[in-house]
Amino acid sequence: MREQLLIAAPELWVLLMACVVMTVDVFTSRERRGIIHLLVMLTLMFAAIITLRGDYHSGGTWAVTAFSETFIRDPMSDVLKLFSFAVMALVYTYAKHYLRHFGLYRGDFYTLTLFALLGVMFLISANSLITVYLGLELLSLSSYALVAFNRESKRGSESAMKYFVLGSMASGLLLYGMSMVYGATGSLELQTISETIRNGREGDVLLVFGLVFLVAGVAFKLGLAPFHMWVPDVYHGAPAAVTLFISTVPKLAAFAMAFRLLHSAMGPLHADWQQMLVLLALLSLAVGNFAAIMQTNIKRMLAYSTVSHMGFVLLGLLPASAEGFGAAMFYVIAYALMSAAAFGVLILLSADGVEAENLDDFKGLNHRNSWYAAIMAMVMFSMAGVPVFIGFFAKWLVIKAAIDAGLIVLAVAAVVFSVIGAFYYLRVIKLMYFDDPLNDKAIEAPVDFGAAISLNGILMLGLGLFSSSLIAICMASFSYL
Amino acid sequence: MDIPIPQTVFYLFSFIMVAAAIMVITVRNPVYAALFLVLTFFSAAAIWLLLEAEFLAIVLVVVYVGAVMVLFLFVVMMLDINLAPLKEGFVSYLPVGIAVALLMAAEMLVVVWTRDRFGPEIYPVPAAAEAGTSNTAALGELLYTNFLLPFEIAGVILLVAIVSAVTLTLRKRSGVRSQSPSHQVRVKRDERVRLVDIASESPDGRSD
Amino acid sequence: MLAEYFPVLVFLGISTVIGVALVTLGGLLGPSNPDSEKLSPYECGFEAFEDTRMKFDVRYYLVAILFIIFDLEIAFFIPWAVALDEIGWLGFNAMLLFVALLIVGFVVEWKNGALEWE
Repeated sequence: MREQLLIAAPELWVLLMACVVMTVDVFTSRERRGIIHLLVMLTLMFAAIITLRGDYHSGGTWAVTAFSETFIRDPMSDVLKLFSFAVMALVYTYAKHYLRHFGLYRGDFYTLTLFALLGVMFLISANSLITVYLGLELLSLSSYALVAFNRESKRGSESAMKYFVLGSMASGLLLYGMSMVYGATGSLELQTISETIRNGREGDVLLVFGLVFLVAGVAFKLGLAPFHMWVPDVYHGAPAAVTLFISTVPKLAAFAMAFRLLHSAMGPLHADWQQMLVLLALLSLAVGNFAAIMQTNIKRMLAYSTVSHMGFVLLGLLPASAEGFGAAMFYVIAYALMSAAAFGVLILLSADGVEAENLDDFKGLNHRNSWYAAIMAMVMFSMAGVPVFIGFFAKWLVIKAAIDAGLIVLAVAAVVFSVIGAFYYLRVIKLMYFDDPLNDKAIEAPVDFGAAISLNGILMLGLGLFSSSLIAICMASFSYL
Repeated sequence: MDIPIPQTVFYLFSFIMVAAAIMVITVRNPVYAALFLVLTFFSAAAIWLLLEAEFLAIVLVVVYVGAVMVLFLFVVMMLDINLAPLKEGFVSYLPVGIAVALLMAAEMLVVVWTRDRFGPEIYPVPAAAEAGTSNTAALGELLYTNFLLPFEIAGVILLVAIVSAVTLTLRKRSGVRSQSPSHQVRVKRDERVRLVDIASESPDGRSD
Repeated sequence: MLAEYFPVLVFLGISTVIGVALVTLGGLLGPSNPDSEKLSPYECGFEAFEDTRMKFDVRYYLVAILFIIFDLEIAFFIPWAVALDEIGWLGFNAMLLFVALLIVGFVVEWKNGALEWE
């Protein structure tokens, strides 16, 4: 039992600290909320240390399971968790500024996001259908509450309601698919499922039937067209601090979930799910890029850009090869970092109790503060896939993986759509550098905020220039395939 | 003639369940809709019982029928919802809804219809449990050992439900007059009673 | 096992028959001559002030949700209690952690004042 607990030590630590934070929150006065922030940052730091100290790295490939095979720890899960902690630290730093500004600086934000992080961790490390589902529910339930976090905002409540209804339906679909898979294979554990399928159940229609629902559930979580309806509304309606969270860390978990369900469990049915994903990828690329051009609201624009980015992630998943999964993993990590920086700048522009959410708010940002404008420019270049930035390498890798798998048409389509998509990213840069500002108010940020966003921006460039090590880590995570 | 009782009961309850589920979404009055939902849950519990999932069946009745739906019914009965707008758009969305439903039903039939793909031959009926087997004990033996982690995650999810409920609905209202029992208990004698030394007076008004 | 539940089925059948019979018999045999005064809502003799339906304090939902959560947790206790002999200390500690989570939730809602009605 002790070894099993050690395997899941990062999760247990986060759970413990979530409870501690919650209790400390109710016993401290409003003025001393800083303690909560500090505690949460320490939680993330120690969680990262505990994850790094897990001594399972003997030999090139390793994977340990615990709790009767419901929990797995492998290189992919460790890397994704470490990046979740890092991105969460950025999220908290940006969010604190926002919450203070809008009078929402409450402990609930920290507890709910910590529980969501716990859901993300369980989802990443899930090795059984039931753990996948429960991790997903933990993440989703916390997210629904977070979207409605600002109770004064009607739009927030409305989008939380939409998110909740659509999310429950997606959970229902996923659960239905899982029940079919369980019925056909008689097991909940992912490896056993794939073995059972390999031993003469490849042609089972019931399995394909279940697979359709699994794919639908995954597509909803990733926000792929045509299951993307919730994305723009939720991004737009939620407070920027929550949008910042929703657009970053859960995507890492959604990638892990896609990998676990589609490859670990349904790997033998690769030919079947590949067809479905090709369709989803094409639709997402088209819908995401075309719809984003028409937006005047930057939150909605970024929402549609998420849809297209997730389409790119699918390109990496499609070949079901080690290189493909590594590329897709690199893509989601890059996307989480880019998205964090984009929403960080967005939060920075909020002033006088009004969220900056229109493209016009970015007008002339260069005149107001050239450094933050430069960061935003780097993020936009990176999202558009301009060389030397991290986003370029991410796109390049997934397209290369798709070409290697013989999906030439899809790869060409991806390139065409990313060129179309470049238009709306470059428009933001044009607004920042060539338009006159609407107001001349200087942009102020606390020291930690400034440091975090500078680091985040530099990472766009730095991880682009020195991308090989991160790429190597991502590729190594799947070297056992 | 020999009528197989389990099959008859299954068809009876599934017919009631489907009919009640359709009524839930078509009746005009939300109170009736809630009551039909209760009937749906109840029939589902009966079907679970047929599948020998005793404990789940009873929990469905106790938790959903007994607690969730009754609380829900209270709200629906008391709430001032205007019934007319709820039904707006029902007719205009109906064709799309029916089309999607038919499509899904057709897809499911493709899978389920053919006997050699999805019949008792491929997925045989498991042997019935012996009389006296305790479903609850079997569940308990697995739930707290093999499914330990999912069980604890379920606990965390319930905790999140508590936190979110408090976050989303709790409002501090100002100007509410209420008693505070802890204050009342902790009160000191000195805060309520003041002993004042008053010099006694003599009848003629002269103090001594 | 199913045979053990046969009496329940019979009971259900009989109670349904009795329930339907009582309502139909009452409707058939009882006198029924309604008029508008009889059917109007009665409020202590004067005109009704407002509709029966009203805005509901959101606090009600809070109490209801908290009740349901604890109700659900009770459901987890039953199989645990039944199987306690077989699952040993592992199962016992599992429930201990589960309850500890609950208690944290309980402390939080208590301190937040969610249990007070004002």
